[in-house]
Amino acid sequence: MGTIQSILIILLVAWMIIDQNGLVIVSYFPVIVGFITGLIMGDVTTAMIIAGTFQLMQLGVANLGGSSMPNYGLATIIGAYLAIRTGTGIKTGIAVGLPVGMLAIQLDVLVKIINNFIAHRMAKLNAEHKWRAMRRQPWYGVALFGLEGAIPTALLVFFGPSAVQAILTWLPKWFTNGLTIAGGLLPVVGVGMLLHYMPTKKFATFLIIGFVFTAYLNLPILGIALIGFACAYYYFNAAMKRAEEKKTNVTNSPLMANSQGDDYDE
Amino acid sequence: MSDELKQDAVQTNEDNKVLSKHDLHRAAVRWAFMACNAFNYETQEAPGLTWALAPALRKIYPNDDDYEKAIANHLKYFNTTTAMANVVMGATTAMEEKEGTKSIGAVQSLKTSLMGPLAGIGDTLIWVLWPTIMGSISGYMAVKGNPLGAMIWFLCNLAFFFVKIKLTDVGYFSGTKLITSLGDRISIFTESASIMGLTVVGALIASVVRIQSPISFRFGAVSMALQSGILDKIMPSLLSVLLTWLVYKLIGSKRWTMNRIILFLIAISMIGAFFGILK
Repeated sequence: MGTIQSILIILLVAWMIIDQNGLVIVSYFPVIVGFITGLIMGDVTTAMIIAGTFQLMQLGVANLGGSSMPNYGLATIIGAYLAIRTGTGIKTGIAVGLPVGMLAIQLDVLVKIINNFIAHRMAKLNAEHKWRAMRRQPWYGVALFGLEGAIPTALLVFFGPSAVQAILTWLPKWFTNGLTIAGGLLPVVGVGMLLHYMPTKKFATFLIIGFVFTAYLNLPILGIALIGFACAYYYFNAAMKRAEEKKTNVTNSPLMANSQGDDYDE
Repeated sequence: MSDELKQDAVQTNEDNKVLSKHDLHRAAVRWAFMACNAFNYETQEAPGLTWALAPALRKIYPNDDDYEKAIANHLKYFNTTTAMANVVMGATTAMEEKEGTKSIGAVQSLKTSLMGPLAGIGDTLIWVLWPTIMGSISGYMAVKGNPLGAMIWFLCNLAFFFVKIKLTDVGYFSGTKLITSLGDRISIFTESASIMGLTVVGALIASVVRIQSPISFRFGAVSMALQSGILDKIMPSLLSVLLTWLVYKLIGSKRWTMNRIILFLIAISMIGAFFGILK
């Protein structure tokens, strides 16, 4: 049973990375991989609590333009696996999962560098008209990305649990407390990133509305999302109407008749 | 983009049809799977896109030399949000089907001109807003041990797979016309979605960023807790707001990488725990 679980966990990590690069069905979203980990390990509740913690840390830390970010999905799987296997609970999940998730980025960079050679090989095989071989090349990329997750996970799964437990009992209390505090602080990175991607300055009003409803009125997040949707819906209709009016004005005015186009683009 | 180019994409469907709907969908499914799985720093998503299009291109170009040219063309730099690439794929396939090797230059410029704007829309909607909204709702449920949000998100992703396949049809049948004529509407849509996103982010600052201090001051017999007595009186979640503002500024400055910010926050947590300043 234990071995089967370990193998399934390794396969789950390998698939997670391949899926995240393409299908995005399981992806690196902590709650989803955490749920599957919980099913494999037979303790969904513990897995979900760890997954939820990492999910909140990951918010907004998007993998844009091929940049490499901490792999919170990997952190969740490793963390939940060890927490349930060793029975040491949520602190273990965060204490081990977080560093593993951060270290795994280095492998990601390595794989993308190796893939450079694959791309060059494809161009060369194309010039030689060896298309069957050319079409095989991207599969090496798939294999490499799978191994990127599978190798560190296998090391941890087969040699880790007892070593991890020994280290955790040796660690001072302030250190594990510090990790718990870090669990509360780190979501701020994601929030900060979100504020950077979004038109924060233009729509600061809605940022404040969301804050006030939570901080002062303790409204649940789904309620806030609905308020946000209502505002968005109103804005969409108003802006569309404005765009329509502008368009008709442009076409009706004789001076502008020949030059419709980019005026209402920005 | 020239008008001629737009016309091409619109008129494609009547004549020179070599590809069936099945061929197109096959390319879309291949792309959905491979996408960034052959990602490299030099040409980024190009190998994956080429692999996805290869069978369809072979049908369009039975001649070996033409096929070689088309493949070499697609092996050049390409990078956009993977779901949005379906639109590009549909449009370029339609052009190549109609014009053959003559279209190769136009295909390249279409890909180059579209990948930026489409990534702008796609990254915001698909990689930022959607995971933020779903992630905060399901993350909340998960912290309480409830997997329902996770299950719903999984099913949504599954459904989205079919939407992506459909996007290829949109690209194929309306090509560049759609993107140019809907340009302003798409930006309005993106803005509205950002409004909903920012409302949720505002809530996140107060609820997700947890920072509290257990310190209390003593004045003779009277003691006063810093958190509940002072900070919360000024404004609830005051420390969270200040921390968010600090990190927002740090992300903006070039000298701070993401990893440095994360390590900095872990250091603050450790120091806070050691001296009992934070809890």
